[in-house]
This record gives sequence, C-alpha cells and structure tokens, in this order.
Amino acid sequence: MSVIVDSRTRLLVQGITGEAARRHTELMVEYGTAVVAGARPGAGGTEVHGVPVFDSVAEAVERVRPNASILFVPARAMKHAACEALEAGLRTLVMVSEHVPLHDTLEIVARAAEHGATLIGPNTPGLISPGERCKVGFVPAMYYTPGGVGVASRSGTLTYEIVSRLTRAGIGQSTCAGIGGDPVVGTPFPEILRLFEGDPDTRAVLLIGEIGGSMEEAAAELVLSGEIGKPVVAYLAGRTAPPGKRMGHAGAIVAGGRGSIRSKLDAFEEAGIPVARVPAEVPRLVRECLSG
Amino acid sequence: MNLREYQAKRIFARRGIAVPRGDLALTADEAARVAVELGCPVVIKPQLGIKKRGKLGLIRFADDPASAAEEARELLSREAGGESVSRLLVEERARIDRELYLAVTVDHRSRAPVLIAARSGGVDVEELAAGDPGQVLRLPLDVLKGPGEEHLARLAAFLDEDPAGESRTTGGADPSTGELAAQVAEALYGLFRRYDVELTEINPLAVVADGLLAVDAVLNVNDDALFRQEELSEYRDTLRDPDPLVEEARASDWTYIELPGEIAILSSGAGLTMTILDLINFAGGSAANFIDTAQIDEEGIYRAFDLLSRAGRGRCLLVNIFAGLNRCDSLARGIVRFLEDSPPGIPLVIRMVGNREREGHAILREAGLDPCTELEEAVERAVESSREGERS
Repeated sequence: MSVIVDSRTRLLVQGITGEAARRHTELMVEYGTAVVAGARPGAGGTEVHGVPVFDSVAEAVERVRPNASILFVPARAMKHAACEALEAGLRTLVMVSEHVPLHDTLEIVARAAEHGATLIGPNTPGLISPGERCKVGFVPAMYYTPGGVGVASRSGTLTYEIVSRLTRAGIGQSTCAGIGGDPVVGTPFPEILRLFEGDPDTRAVLLIGEIGGSMEEAAAELVLSGEIGKPVVAYLAGRTAPPGKRMGHAGAIVAGGRGSIRSKLDAFEEAGIPVARVPAEVPRLVRECLSG
Repeated sequence: MNLREYQAKRIFARRGIAVPRGDLALTADEAARVAVELGCPVVIKPQLGIKKRGKLGLIRFADDPASAAEEARELLSREAGGESVSRLLVEERARIDRELYLAVTVDHRSRAPVLIAARSGGVDVEELAAGDPGQVLRLPLDVLKGPGEEHLARLAAFLDEDPAGESRTTGGADPSTGELAAQVAEALYGLFRRYDVELTEINPLAVVADGLLAVDAVLNVNDDALFRQEELSEYRDTLRDPDPLVEEARASDWTYIELPGEIAILSSGAGLTMTILDLINFAGGSAANFIDTAQIDEEGIYRAFDLLSRAGRGRCLLVNIFAGLNRCDSLARGIVRFLEDSPPGIPLVIRMVGNREREGHAILREAGLDPCTELEEAVERAVESSREGERS
C-alpha cells in the first residue's frame, strides 16, 4: 500500500508531446507506472512511447479510463489544464510546473476542493510509491526502495539527498511525495499526514520542511492534537538562512519573524517530533522511531 | 514585484480608491514646484522599497515651498535599505480625524484570500493583533466568489464599533465610516484579483472631512503573473535588482544571492542549497554567495561557473552536483571546459553523485581535480580551504 499513487493508478499525461513530458513518460513507463493515455490538443491519434494520445482529457477519460493526471503543461496554462482534468472527472492531479501564478493556484485549489480531488504541487518533482512500482513525476527512481516510511517534502534535490541515505541504511519508503516548493500547494503537510495516518503500510512519517510559511507548524498542531498517531520525524532546511531573502523557493522566505526556524523548531518540540539537525542524522532518527 | 508607494497609489486611483493629491519630484526645485501647485502644508516621502520610513525619520513635512525644497534636498542625500533616495512623493497634508487599516492578502494556512481590517491605522498590524486580537478582523474569502454582502457588512460593523463595544453608526442617511471603508475594501479586493496581488495594504486609511483617503499604499504583485500584467510593465524597469548578476541569474530561472562570508556555492535545488549553507555554518565556515540552478546541462554549468567567476567572491568554490536526471559526465565536461577557458584563482571542491557518477569523476580526475561523493566531506574540505585562504 501507499498513498495517492499505487499499482492501480492509471495515469494520463497532459501535455505529453513536450520534450520533458516525452522523456519522463518513457521513464515512468520503464519504472512500471501504468501510463494509459496522453492528452494534447491537435495530437490526437499519435503515440508517445507506445502511449495513445488524445485531443482532450474528456476523450482520454472516455476511451481508456485514467484515474490520475500529471500535468506537464506550461505554468501559464496550468489553470486551464487542471480545470479540464477536474471537469473530466479526474480526482488525482500532479502539477509539476514551477511559476504557476499564485492566483491560479488559489483557484485550482478551490475547484479541487469542490470536486473532492487530491492535488499535488505545483512546483513538485511528483511522487513515487516504490513498493507499488508507481512513480508520477520526475523523481529519480534509483534512490528509492520499498518500505514503511512515508516521506513528504517541499524540495526536490534535498529529498533525493535524504532518501538516498535512508535507502542506503536499509530503510524503505511507502510513498515519497514532493508536495511542492510554492507557498500555496494542493496538499500541504497536515493533509499528507492524514493520508499517511490512514495507510496501513506506512509505519512512520518523515517531513522534509524548510523555513517560510506555516505548514510545519500546522503539521505539528495536528500531531499534538492526537489526530496523528504514527511517529513523525522531521528535517528542516534553512536553519542559518539570512532573514528577508527568498531562498530559491518562492515559499522559503522569512518575513517579519513569520516562517522562522525558531517557530518551526518550537512547534515540533512541543508536538514531540524529533528534528534532525543535518541530513546524516535522519536515518538514525527514523530507525529509532520505527523500533520504538 | 513590490510597487513603490507612488506607483501603488496610481493604481489605487485608477481603481476608485481615493489617495491624497500629489506628484513625484526628482529634485528639490521640483518638490518646491509641486508644493506650490498643491498648496501647503505638504508631506514629502522618499520612494524606497523599505517599511517604517516614518520611524527612520524619512517622512518630512513642510509649511511652505522653500522648506519643502530644503527637506527634499536633505532627503535626496540620504540612503536607506541599500538604496539612495532618488524619487520623492510630495503630497497635500490631509487633516486626519481617525486612522484605520485595511489589507487583502493570501492566507497560506487556509490557502485562500483574506481581508484584514483594524480599528487603528499607522500601526504594525501583526503587533497589534498579537497584543489585542480583538482589534483586528480577519475575514477569509472564497477566491471563486470574493467578498459578499455579509463580509462587507461585518467589516463595516467592526470598524464602526469603538473598542468599548459601542457602535459609532449614527443611523443617519449618510454612510458611516465603516460603510465607506467597506466600499474601499471591496475595491481593494477587486484590485487584489485584477493585478495578481500577493499583498495590498492601506496603512493608514485616513478618515478625513469628506471621506476616506489611502495615505499609504502597499501593492506586492506575484512575479509569476507579471506576464499578464501589461499595465504594470512601465514600473518593471524602476524595480530591477541593482545587482546585474541577480538579474542575469533570474533570466535563466536561477537564484543568485550574495552573502557576507567566504565560500562561493554552486548547487541545484532550493532545499538542498539551504542545507549546504547550514552545513557550512555548522562547520564554522561562511558562505560568500550562492547560485541555485535548476536542472542544468553541460552548457548550463559552464554559464553558472562563469557567473560566479565574474562575481569574484569567496576564497573557495564549493560545487554540489546531485544528478538525478541530468548526467555527471556531461556536467564534468562543462566544468573542465570552463576551467580550461578561465582558470579560477581560488580552490575548487566538487561533490558529484548521481547518473554516470563514475564517468563524471574520471573526467574530473583526468583534469587534475579531486571530486568527492559525500556532502559532509565536501563541506569540510571547503571550510578548511577557505580558512587556509584566510591565513595566507
């Protein structure tokens, strides 16, 4: 088992004819993801790495019944593409693009809520459920191995850095979800904690957070409330970052004391969530809570 | 993009929010001329990208054109927030009965717009809310619907109530202050949506004899939406980063940030780059700057090296490559080619892992470099060599 994506995922790739989408469609298929369709206006009837392409999401849904979509569309076309997927009945959407306008994300989040859909991203490398041989996005599969740790992260390369250490230490993962580096994302830490809590195969959760925003604090509150019973471990990037500068992620900025490392560390401490000071400490903390 | 006060006020005025009469002055003579046109007293405000100008003594008042010129001359010699004062907004000085606060922003927790109002203006609203939460009203809104009648009525009632809980509404035919403020709030929300705004704030919103005036104006626009904000394009040049390297990096969708320390950093991904900064600081070192690139290829890493070498900062360069999707060998070739073209004057520490790691390392070793695979080792070596640079 896993969360959001698994062996039953039938994936649609929106914008499949783009260069990155083609390459990652191939890598996803190679890994074992059931990529059942692509969509791209005007490209209907063609194929990408053996995947049939349709002119619209509605047509793809009618013909091959995908149940999830990854959107490899330009940031400025994201709102339109996401709404098309929601209206066609898809309930799991992964938005990889960076630089989606904030107001577009707000609208997509509101519409997804109306439809009861799960939204990942924007600005995410996607997700992978190693035990289910399913990856949706461009996470490099070689660093992952099946197991019982659910991972949620705001950052791409940092996740590879940390998860590769877990894998080397023999600690496998149920699902690793890049939730996205933007200040507003479809599935923030509290929501993903709820999903991991409900997944029988996830035994512990690792949150890879960073300065900026208040998602870590919200996750800590949820743990403190008792709603999350599974052990949670965290790593936080940006302990020594200078305030007031946007550290690469639109979401990683400490402004007027909000989003500070202090506030996050205090919240985690209060909730009894151990926080690794450096990536090298993560495998030990995870192992301790798995055996504890 | 954070608009300057005078730019935000032009937008406000265009969208039906009243602002004081005023004009921009670039010289002391111009300030005097504007003061003559407006009639005194006037207020003179430097157009800087910083907050709390008042507390820094940067807001001046003048009772006649001659003193307006004098104040302007003095302000134009000042510098604040790393920026010298070059533009002044000269405005009529309004007679203010009462000050309020209004803002619209995105609440990251509810992931929706929020309308914020306070009964006192000219204050730090977060401090105010921390001290007395009852003084600040937060109305979360549905982005698909915007503020409805009930939101605006609540806002009006809140602002008309005095802190003791009594309503100031007179019940007369004229709209109350709260009702007028609700109209401003509706216009402010319209502007928030129309211009892809992250934060817009009127602090203070002044109650004057004939209505409400936005005495100050904040309008921070989401950079990712500037492509569809034609109307704001005239302001873009005035808001460019003074550091051309920052702008150059931005054009490649990279982040370049200068820091006060000694190690230059080339890395990919925001979270991992922040982690490297942390590890350097924990090891007793300090960063001189960093460039955070997206997925790059041979050409990209060549250009990133070039940018850092032109920045010319640091006693050592730390390069971290985690090639999940790109390839170590092609990145190694880009690095070697750059070093052949322009040998750097500082030691280089390269950590390289991922696709085709062995091939990448071989290419670097052949060029006389000594790459490593562990991040911690790379950081240690970089800190060490930055210290050696210090001793020499």
